[in-house]
Amino acid sequence: MMQILMFYPSAVIAVITTLMVIFSKNPVYAVLYLIMSLFAVSMVFWSLGSPFLAMVEIIIYAGAIMVLFLFVVMMLNLGQRRVDEDLRPPSGKALILPGIFATILLVQTIACLMAGHPQGGTQLLNDPVALGHAMYEKHYLGVKLAAIILLIGSIGGMHLGRAASFPDTKEKDLL
Amino acid sequence: MKFSRSVEKPVWESGTTNSLKGDRGIQGVNDVYWVKQDEAYDKIQALKNDPQRPFPTLFDIVAIDESERQNRPAGQDHRYTLQYLLWNPDRGSDKVLVKVPLEGNDPKIKSITPLFKNADWYEREVYDMMGVTFEGHHNMRRILMPDWWQGHPLRKDHPNRATEMPPLTISEEDLAEYDGWEMLSSGDSYIRRKDEDGNELMILNLGPNHPGTHGVLRIMLTLNGEYMEDVYPVIGYHHRGAEKMAERQTFHSYIPYCDRIDYLGGTTNELPYVLACEQLAGIKVPERATVMRVMLAEIYRLCNHLVWFGTFGHDVGAMTPVFYTFRERENLFKIIEMITGGRMHPNFLRIGGCSMDLPVGWQEPIKLFLKDFDAHVHEYDNLLVQNPIFKTRTRDVGKMSLADCYEWGVTGPNLRASGSKFDLRKVAPYCGYEGYEFEVVSHTDGDCCARATVRLGEMIQSARIIRQCIDLMPEGEVMSRDNRYAFPPRKAETMMDIETLINHFLAVGWGLDMPVGESFVMIEQPKGNSGYYVVSDGRTSPYRLRIRTPSFAHMQTLPALSRGHLLSDLLAVIGAMDFVLADIDR
Amino acid sequence: MKDFWHVINTLPQEQWPPLYSAIQSLILGGVIVGALLSAAGYLVLLERKVLAWMQHRVGPNRCGPFGLLQPLADVLKLLTKEDSLPPFVDKWLFIAAPAIIMLTAILSLAVVPFGQPQWLVVKDLNVGILFFLALSSLGVYSIVLAGWSSNSKYAALGGLRATAQMISYELSMSMSLLAAVMLAGSLSLNKIVEAQSSLWFVILQPLGFVIFVISVIAESRRAPFDLPEAENEIVAGFHTEYSSMKFALFFLGEYVAVVLLSFVISTIYLGGYHGLFDIPYIPAAIEGPIWLLAKVGFFIFFFIWIRATYPRFRYDHLMELGWKYMIPLSVLNLIATAVLIILFPTLGGHK
Repeated sequence: MMQILMFYPSAVIAVITTLMVIFSKNPVYAVLYLIMSLFAVSMVFWSLGSPFLAMVEIIIYAGAIMVLFLFVVMMLNLGQRRVDEDLRPPSGKALILPGIFATILLVQTIACLMAGHPQGGTQLLNDPVALGHAMYEKHYLGVKLAAIILLIGSIGGMHLGRAASFPDTKEKDLL
Repeated sequence: MKFSRSVEKPVWESGTTNSLKGDRGIQGVNDVYWVKQDEAYDKIQALKNDPQRPFPTLFDIVAIDESERQNRPAGQDHRYTLQYLLWNPDRGSDKVLVKVPLEGNDPKIKSITPLFKNADWYEREVYDMMGVTFEGHHNMRRILMPDWWQGHPLRKDHPNRATEMPPLTISEEDLAEYDGWEMLSSGDSYIRRKDEDGNELMILNLGPNHPGTHGVLRIMLTLNGEYMEDVYPVIGYHHRGAEKMAERQTFHSYIPYCDRIDYLGGTTNELPYVLACEQLAGIKVPERATVMRVMLAEIYRLCNHLVWFGTFGHDVGAMTPVFYTFRERENLFKIIEMITGGRMHPNFLRIGGCSMDLPVGWQEPIKLFLKDFDAHVHEYDNLLVQNPIFKTRTRDVGKMSLADCYEWGVTGPNLRASGSKFDLRKVAPYCGYEGYEFEVVSHTDGDCCARATVRLGEMIQSARIIRQCIDLMPEGEVMSRDNRYAFPPRKAETMMDIETLINHFLAVGWGLDMPVGESFVMIEQPKGNSGYYVVSDGRTSPYRLRIRTPSFAHMQTLPALSRGHLLSDLLAVIGAMDFVLADIDR
Repeated sequence: MKDFWHVINTLPQEQWPPLYSAIQSLILGGVIVGALLSAAGYLVLLERKVLAWMQHRVGPNRCGPFGLLQPLADVLKLLTKEDSLPPFVDKWLFIAAPAIIMLTAILSLAVVPFGQPQWLVVKDLNVGILFFLALSSLGVYSIVLAGWSSNSKYAALGGLRATAQMISYELSMSMSLLAAVMLAGSLSLNKIVEAQSSLWFVILQPLGFVIFVISVIAESRRAPFDLPEAENEIVAGFHTEYSSMKFALFFLGEYVAVVLLSFVISTIYLGGYHGLFDIPYIPAAIEGPIWLLAKVGFFIFFFIWIRATYPRFRYDHLMELGWKYMIPLSVLNLIATAVLIILFPTLGGHK
């Protein structure tokens, strides 16, 4: 009962806010809708019995990544021309590929729902201890690989952002 | 009640008087050069670069409207006199005056901004006040008066009071034309709105009402992120026409106005004015009055530095020091109240001495205060100056080299923080400062931290001088007996005979005629070197009074000190500079 | 009723019937929120009084004895002030921003254990620390949105400063917390407190403790990290345009955050409700809260003390301290703790 009361409203909010991300004209509002959507998704996780995932979703996505998004969007002054450009109705051609992807995803989701394992992984994710065991014992290699990729990515980012690669830039501009 | 007369005879009864009136020439400068209008630039350049006797610093530019002069040397009939006061702090305060007669109602003269950086604001002020245009100046616009002001206030034909003028009305069109900073963005803008790559920069209008600017100061900033690309101080919001007022007041009744120039400096403002008048009239001040003046000057220096210390702390975000230093200042004000009857504006000095003698038992409170102060000053040092956050915030912020200080006309503690040992009290002693033992506190870093250290050291030295004043205080009169020019004797003494009574009545009600002449005195004020240039036409009020204040010169350095720093550093720079808006705008 | 008391006293929280759980949460939550709001009001008075004592002043003393009614007067004043909504602001976000800060600060207290019995924590989440971190990271939005929606330059500067500062210090805060979590072997605040029954973590984690306290002060934007509202530089920073009760919410939010963070510091590093000794004549159930409140009181005083003593940081120094010192040190602390746990497996809450 509690699960239903939590799950469906959250799920509906998640869908609506995600739609609003696409349709809102103001980029700051779009980012805020995305945050709400992530928040709703984390509620969905919680209602499915995984508070750990819910919290991690908020900390990482809503708390860290989206703040940076908002930070950048706030800084940008796009100007009226750019806004007008963005608001033009998309041409039919541009909709073909996304349309195909969206259909495939939809079919997949429906198929999954029909198959009848909606709470597949949540038993494992119920408890942070169990999750730890799963990550560092069962999927040890995958976690390590992901970590190495992240490390390489961050080193690459630092290298590209070095002051030396932009001779004209003063160090203070990079701060 | 019976009056007894046990005082010595007034000067004019002693039979040693020379002529009562007579041109006393120009006092207080070492040399005067009269230069033609088109030769002024070359002469000043030659003086600046003279190998034997260079004058690296421009102290002041003064313009005098000569149109209402009654006592002029024969053959002089020019409208304005423009004078440049050049100065060499290294050679015992060597000063020369370059006088340039200017003809015509709206004269033009070549700007000396290529020679001296600080000529910028001084020339603008002369333009604003007298209407002398400087050709080649890059920003010839009003500085103290609003842009829409009509006329040039210090000209003799400009009304003295608002009641003499038609009521001030601002039409809708005027308002539309005068739109804050927009006026600056037109034409040859001083505020860049785009950087080299065409990116828009943020313009931040800091003030005139802002909690961090110590008063009605407006600073326009161009920010790139939080880094200041451009700094443009806008002053004049506190302008009260102190120089114009002097032309209506008698020599004596102007003294209270001096207090309001640097309102934290108290008697140190009155001191250069009365010294200049005394120098003009040749008055000898009694010994006791001189020591009292020194003592009060040092007490006010302490007051000023205490306020500065607290507010500087607050500027960098420390909220407690200001309460500690104001506690100390309150104690000092109690002492000042006991001696003068006033607090911030004592109106205590008179031409020829002081207004009254010290009260009975004046030593004890001062000694008590000094005992406390010695302990507290170390507390301040530990609380703020030794604080690691304070150090990181003030080190290498607002740095200025000694050469730049000379170029900008920086004086006082700010100059000493850049490595100079220059202190007028040592170099060109006045009021008998040569008889006191004290050290000139100096620092070589030239940044905000050095300024804090120097001022903290100065407080200790001031306390030392006050101690010596207590020990040295001689007995005797506090007012000169030279009643031709000095302030008249006390009322009780005037009730003796009708002549003294009439003399007193005239001197107080009408004012005393000062001899014809010009006199310049500069002293070491708490904030820097202040100079009063008094021009007398032989009448009861100054013909022209020029007040050169340290804050004006220091505020002019703000762009040079803070450009390229962070926004937070602007406040540290402002705080360390120690200025008062009334002292800038007068 | 007797059954309710029996259940919540004996069974662990997970096994309570949902109704009992809801009743307990509502009652304790209500008590905490009520206490917290009035505490925040009195904290303002306390801060003013303590600052006054430190600065040779008297402080508020006109309203009631020793100024004890001052918070009431403040609230009345703020409520009756004109609630101005400047024409240039983004209306909804402008209104939402102060609400977010209060909400996140108050909600975080749900996971703090106040005492030994099960019913003295609103909800004993097994991810309690993550819940606290998630809410504190959401608190950033309040400041960012206030700064952005005000549409004013000072507010924007304040908002930007706040964002950069809070994101940076969140990292060192979480990492120093992780070390404590490793020691306790649980993300639940209750388990972390239990793990400290014999030895407080401040002794095992001196470096982590210092990093956490510094990060927490930065996170709550209090002096010397009060750059987002540095009145000498940017007037009032992100809340320049706010007035009346909306301003009061920011103001109260700051004090609620101070209370909350003091609770978290005491819980994670100073043994929470564990006392140094048994207080005589006091029942054990109340002894825990008394010890906890004493520790919280000390940290609140500490926060005020710091404010009276230090000048404000500069922005680049703040970033330097955060990224060049705090984060590497907290990583070091994490590694050292891991080594410690491997060497002495019986440390902390490990079996």
